[in-house]
Amino acid sequence: MSEFLQIRNVTMKFGELLADKDVSFDVPKGMICGLIGPNGAGKTTLFNCIAGYYAPTAGEIFFEGKRISGLPPYRIARLGIARTFQVVRPLKEMSVLDNIMVGAFLHHASAAEARKAAERCLDLCFLEEYRNKPAGDLTIGNKKRLEVARALATNPKLLLLDECVAGLTSTEVHDMVQVIKRLRDEGITILMVEHIMEAIMPIADKIVVLSHGEKIAEGSPSVVVHDPMVITAYLGEKFARKLAEQKAAAGEGGAL
Amino acid sequence: MQSDSIKRAIPWMLSLAVLALLPVTGLLRGSFLSHVLVMILLNASMAQAWNIIGGYAGQVSFGHSVFFGIGAYGAAYAVTNLKMTPYPGALAGAVLAAVLAVIIGYPTFKLKGHYFAIATFAIVEVFHRLFMIWEDVGGAVGLDYPILKDGWRNFSWSRSKVGYFYGALILFGIIFSLVRALEKARFGYYLKAIREGQETAESLGVDARRYKLAAMALSAAMAAMCGAFFAQYNYRVDPSMVLSLDMSMRFVLITILGGIGTLWGPLLGAAILIPLQEYTRAYLAKLGPGVDLVIFGLIIILVMQFQPKGIMGMIDAARKRRRKLAAAGNEHEGGRQ
Repeated sequence: MSEFLQIRNVTMKFGELLADKDVSFDVPKGMICGLIGPNGAGKTTLFNCIAGYYAPTAGEIFFEGKRISGLPPYRIARLGIARTFQVVRPLKEMSVLDNIMVGAFLHHASAAEARKAAERCLDLCFLEEYRNKPAGDLTIGNKKRLEVARALATNPKLLLLDECVAGLTSTEVHDMVQVIKRLRDEGITILMVEHIMEAIMPIADKIVVLSHGEKIAEGSPSVVVHDPMVITAYLGEKFARKLAEQKAAAGEGGAL
Repeated sequence: MQSDSIKRAIPWMLSLAVLALLPVTGLLRGSFLSHVLVMILLNASMAQAWNIIGGYAGQVSFGHSVFFGIGAYGAAYAVTNLKMTPYPGALAGAVLAAVLAVIIGYPTFKLKGHYFAIATFAIVEVFHRLFMIWEDVGGAVGLDYPILKDGWRNFSWSRSKVGYFYGALILFGIIFSLVRALEKARFGYYLKAIREGQETAESLGVDARRYKLAAMALSAAMAAMCGAFFAQYNYRVDPSMVLSLDMSMRFVLITILGGIGTLWGPLLGAAILIPLQEYTRAYLAKLGPGVDLVIFGLIIILVMQFQPKGIMGMIDAARKRRRKLAAAGNEHEGGRQ
């Protein structure tokens, strides 16, 4: 089961800057796995290593038992890993449907079939009414869902979502969470980088926490949020100590 | 779906048929008008060939005069030195042009930025010099055709331009049909995706470099076919006639004026610029050489000021405005009910 996505001792250096240091974890098939951490923790860098945009300085990444680290992005996409970009990248001059069709063409040679597949993704991501609009004209919330729809059209086994709810309004966040749940129900494994805890905690099966390029915690959401190292990383040492004291006090007083 | 694509093909087939019937109407009896029409079809075909790589794939090439020249020399060399029909020469020229396109594209498509454009710029000068000193293809004097029998076998007509008109129409029909098919196919979608965002395209499984190379090779081969026609039409070829930056710019400017990355842009651009050029050349020649180029430049500056997407962009904008007005009108009526 853990043969699905394996990240093994991945280190990524840019000159002297150490973005990821010896990171290892597995993403089992069928899960929603969250990758969280403060700004500059190395989440997006790790994503770019998985998707082939960087070749890790050291370490290896395996997908379904096959070593994928070092392969170019298009080969990784063909193996069944699709990604979205943190800063949305609509193919601006093309219509929303055409954007998604580009993804669908990966497994459908004929335009008619690609269109049919793209229309399904259009529906799945609540984009039907924008079908013929130029992608550049969409609002940010729709552009983010277009990223997902386009990646989805490549019929991936693993979907990498890079901060797909960042910068959205609460309704838009709600829509996106609906979309992600739908995808999981379709059997797609999801690895998502996220900043916004409220979006990821309720849906993730597993959370991996990075801080300063190192993995500091891994486990189910309820375990991870109570991890002292995670609290320290997110809220600072001082606050973490205070919180621990408070908890201790509350524990003594209110224990049943 | 099948019947849809047939329906879509009807206007296109009709326009080709109408063009094909033009000589029968007697409208082309004046040889100047036929000359202008031949030049429009040829230049539209050239611009469309360029449009594949420059418009759809978004990789601006300033080197298309080289591919054009290779095709022209291929046909001329077959006729003058090898005493053959021009067809094998044109075909060899197209293949060589495609190979050269890949040789230029292979290293430069790996790099980001303007390296490809710069490399294509450089080859024009290299090939001009090369053909100037290459004695086997006539050096600076070029190749002059002998007198040949009229007809399709020699692709040569001395008495009327109707033969050339049909030749140009076939060339135009082939290249436009090709791009028309490409636009609706995976290949066309991938090229546009690469233009709009190469990294995005790659994230969707597109081997961007391979597709750019394929587009470049196809574009170069088509440009070479146009060059072969040009040599046949002029009955001669020399380095300055074909291998020049002026000629390269023609590919670029006609497409930009008409609408880059659109199916009909190249035809619109040629239909506007070529008559203008031919008539100013004929009637304003006494003002000095290059008057046509000055007017050429002025028109392009004017159009670009208003609409960077060229004339096709203007047409699209007008259509959209009309649709919006219509929609507003409907809403208004709906409100009253």
